Amino acid sequence: MYNNIECTIHNAIFIIVGGFRLNFIIEKYKTITRKQFFLSLILVISFIVSVIFVHHNYSFYDRPIAEVIKTELKNTTDVMDIYDNKDQLFTQHIIAKIKNGDNKGQLVHLTNEYSTSKAYDQEFQVGQNVFVSIDQSNEHTYLTGTIKDVKRDTYVVLVAWIFAFILLIVGRKQGFFSMISLIINAVLLSYALDIYLNNPEWNLIIICSIAVLLFTVISLLLVNGLNEKTYAAIIATILGTFLSLLISYLVIWLTSEEGLRYEELQFITRPYQMVFMAGLFIGSLGAIMDVAITMSSSIFELYEKNNNIPLKALKKSGMEIGKDIMGTMTNILFFAYISGSIPMLILYLKNHSPLGYTLSMNLSLELARALAGGIGIVITIPIGLYTAIFFVNRKRGRI
Amino acid sequence: MNALVILAAILFLLMTLVGGKKGIRSFLALFFNFAVIFMIIFFMNDPNINPVILTIIASTVISCINLFYINKVNNTTIPAFISSIISIVILLLLIIILTEKAMIQGFGEEEIEELSIFSLYIGIDFTKIAASVIIMSTIGAVTDTAIAVSSPMREIHFHHPAISRKDLFTSGLSIGKDILGTSTNTLFFAFFGGYLALLIWFKDLSYSAGEIVNSKIFSAEMITLLCAGIGVTMVIPITSWITALYLLKKEEKTIFQEK
Repeated sequence: MYNNIECTIHNAIFIIVGGFRLNFIIEKYKTITRKQFFLSLILVISFIVSVIFVHHNYSFYDRPIAEVIKTELKNTTDVMDIYDNKDQLFTQHIIAKIKNGDNKGQLVHLTNEYSTSKAYDQEFQVGQNVFVSIDQSNEHTYLTGTIKDVKRDTYVVLVAWIFAFILLIVGRKQGFFSMISLIINAVLLSYALDIYLNNPEWNLIIICSIAVLLFTVISLLLVNGLNEKTYAAIIATILGTFLSLLISYLVIWLTSEEGLRYEELQFITRPYQMVFMAGLFIGSLGAIMDVAITMSSSIFELYEKNNNIPLKALKKSGMEIGKDIMGTMTNILFFAYISGSIPMLILYLKNHSPLGYTLSMNLSLELARALAGGIGIVITIPIGLYTAIFFVNRKRGRI
Repeated sequence: MNALVILAAILFLLMTLVGGKKGIRSFLALFFNFAVIFMIIFFMNDPNINPVILTIIASTVISCINLFYINKVNNTTIPAFISSIISIVILLLLIIILTEKAMIQGFGEEEIEELSIFSLYIGIDFTKIAASVIIMSTIGAVTDTAIAVSSPMREIHFHHPAISRKDLFTSGLSIGKDILGTSTNTLFFAFFGGYLALLIWFKDLSYSAGEIVNSKIFSAEMITLLCAGIGVTMVIPITSWITALYLLKKEEKTIFQEK
């Protein structure tokens, strides 16, 4: 019977990837074990269950949710702001069906205004789910209300599953472990923040330092297993992160924060300098871990290929590898931080803000993060090299 | 003294000490990339230019800088470049659908208060800008993974010239699996470090889980992070396949020429 099911899955996969040249995956599928089959089955079932859940979880929300069933464009006006930016405003009449609460099943009439730029408004289409507030009293025979927000959980869950599936198809066992390590790290981070919020007198940097130690040990052990390669990487990561934090802290302290525009830091409910430093600390950790494990695995690889390799050759090759990864690694952080400011920069420039002011307001903290992360990456190259060599020497001494 | 200037000077010094000439090139590459971002922001200010097309052009230029300028044009960077562009285009298709459906463009209600002095009706389609932001956040990680896969593949091909295309593809894939965990980690921590303040804000104002997941800012961040993860993962099989194809085609050509 299982053979039958396997055969069907096999065929389905074959059709899906059809023209795509993923023969490799299909061949692996032929040698699938029963355990893998059950794991995949559990995965597919949880995927289906969670997707059905986010499409029908209306009753779990206190806020009323309505599904758009009819839209009608009422009128269009051309507008021009004081900076000569042309835009169009649209008024949309929407009829939506309420999905939860006391008025479940009833229709509600809504009006929505949106513009072509959609910076803080949106055009609604039939089938979309929105959070609404229903007017308590009105002179009509039908319900009226206003749209508060869009229900986005379905999309977040969908993308998360796409990511999980691609991770598992490409990475298999390693993909599974990286997924587990991401989930554990997210839970750990949330827990660390809870501790901080419950004990505001504690220093956030110290809480983050403890969290960083745990993040490093958990991620590297899960991704690379228990071996000397991993130990060397853990030590290099910890040294690299703390040293780069120290450097950035000293620079920011010595320059008395000149050039840093903390006004830009949004969503602040706590001492902002500390929040910024903690963010900088955690932000560079991933990249530093990446450099540390790359350095230690390549040094160990060289040693294992040739146990008598001279120290000088190890150092030289290690430095070459370091040079290779330095440029692209610093770029990862650079793009991850800077890109998020693009919409804000456009808004400032379109509102005729002076260029220098726009850049310093929106990019100073992002640049500081990217530069501090870059310092961490570069400094970890020699640190990673020498810790790995230390472990190699210890291993040699034992033999 | 300006803290940013000092940090940049320290970074430059370290890169030169550790990386020599290549270090200087890597540092300059950061500047060029900054210039590219700067240019596309200027072009995006023109409502008549499609931001998505601008993003594709910018991604091509940035991949050129990251791969060809830092590492020179060779057997590793050419397939890495082709694979990066293919992955970016596939990712872009997914992202355009997502940004339109999930409506994560523009600014969230948490930010809107401080923007009250600005006119928001500026005639630029923020949905397309949102797609562009996601691609731009991912491009650094995608090129990094592409070169990390194609570079050891060339070494394998060099040491075992008789290797078949399928075996070369398989070894590329297994190299990719090893770096997958750390690449996704790099992105994960970079994003959470950048949005630590937002997370504290959500917790401080005791948002419910439902409110957090559905809020524009959080869902936009999550979708960006997940798309970046998808990009980094997807580029691995694409690079393995293209590098295997490229290296063996090239070999055939040289054999043919020698005859």
